[in-house]
Amino acid sequence: MAIRTTTDTSDLRALAEGLKRRDPDVFDQLIEQYQFRLFRYLLYLTGHRERAEDFFQETWIRVLERGYQYDGKSKFEAWLFTIARNLVIDWQRQRKVQSLDTLTDPAQETPLQIADTRSPSPLHAAMRDEQDSAVRASLAQISLIYREVVVLRFHEELQIDEIASVMNLPISTVKTRLYRGLEAMRVAMQGVAS
Amino acid sequence: MNYENEQAMPANEHARAKRLIDQHHVEGLAAQERAWLDAHLQDCGDCAAFAHSTEEALRAMRTAAIPFPAGLASRTQFRVHLRAQQLLEREPRRLAVWAVAGMSWVLGIATAPYVWQLFSWVGERLHVPKLVWELGFGLWWLIPASIAGAILLVENPRDRFSDASRRR
Repeated sequence: MAIRTTTDTSDLRALAEGLKRRDPDVFDQLIEQYQFRLFRYLLYLTGHRERAEDFFQETWIRVLERGYQYDGKSKFEAWLFTIARNLVIDWQRQRKVQSLDTLTDPAQETPLQIADTRSPSPLHAAMRDEQDSAVRASLAQISLIYREVVVLRFHEELQIDEIASVMNLPISTVKTRLYRGLEAMRVAMQGVAS
Repeated sequence: MNYENEQAMPANEHARAKRLIDQHHVEGLAAQERAWLDAHLQDCGDCAAFAHSTEEALRAMRTAAIPFPAGLASRTQFRVHLRAQQLLEREPRRLAVWAVAGMSWVLGIATAPYVWQLFSWVGERLHVPKLVWELGFGLWWLIPASIAGAILLVENPRDRFSDASRRR
């Protein structure tokens, strides 16, 4: 089954069927298709490259095990991000943290470690795009609750109701966080530029 | 661009423009609001710069490259295939459990009147209060589901343990 787009209703239904059957080809294609987006989201969410890699794998295992729960009515990526987010929250809870929101105190928050620490050579590191570094630095300054909605809205281009579904929040809260996140990002970008 | 009228504009117009710039990105704008904002940005340098900086910040974020770990996708595909194989192997056993549970439900329904009489007879013989042997009859019905549930519970903690150990 070719998965070209996940917005078409018939494609979504076919995708749901494939997930229910645990069709290996469907999973291979999905992993290929969503690898960058899922990894990027997990990286922004956890702030740690290796942890994001672990969660990336666990997310797909969970998708395999719970594939029958996907109804094919909503966007697959929203469902995928929900699973990924819940895994991160479960992990945080195991570490005696109540929720992601309690990690948002900037004083306690782990710095975002997005830079590739396993670059093949110093030359490669030196050639890294300056603007990308500025963006990472600026995003790292944004509190997690705002960073997450900003990434989901402006990077992953989810709709507000989809973000609300992923984060299990009221739409009004998502909007408030988006406005504040946008403001925070603008300020942070200016700070980096100056 | 003609910014001559900028000084003459009331402050609340600039505030409205900045609010609409954000709203445009977050929720989108109605055509009327969009037209008003476009007109305002034609005349106001500060708000145009504000709009530009917002656009630039978003563009930079969207185009920022994040290096994807080499081999992560193929490692994940391999693990997913392995797990799928495990689940596939477990499927017949799980089906058998449900089949046995289902059959015992059917037998339970078919024999319900006799079992009721049996419980009633034993209750009378042992001088057990009616409520107690009726509760016993109810519990009798839960036995198949309890066995199936126990088997599933035995299987699931094993999965959870292996997941937790993998993450550690």
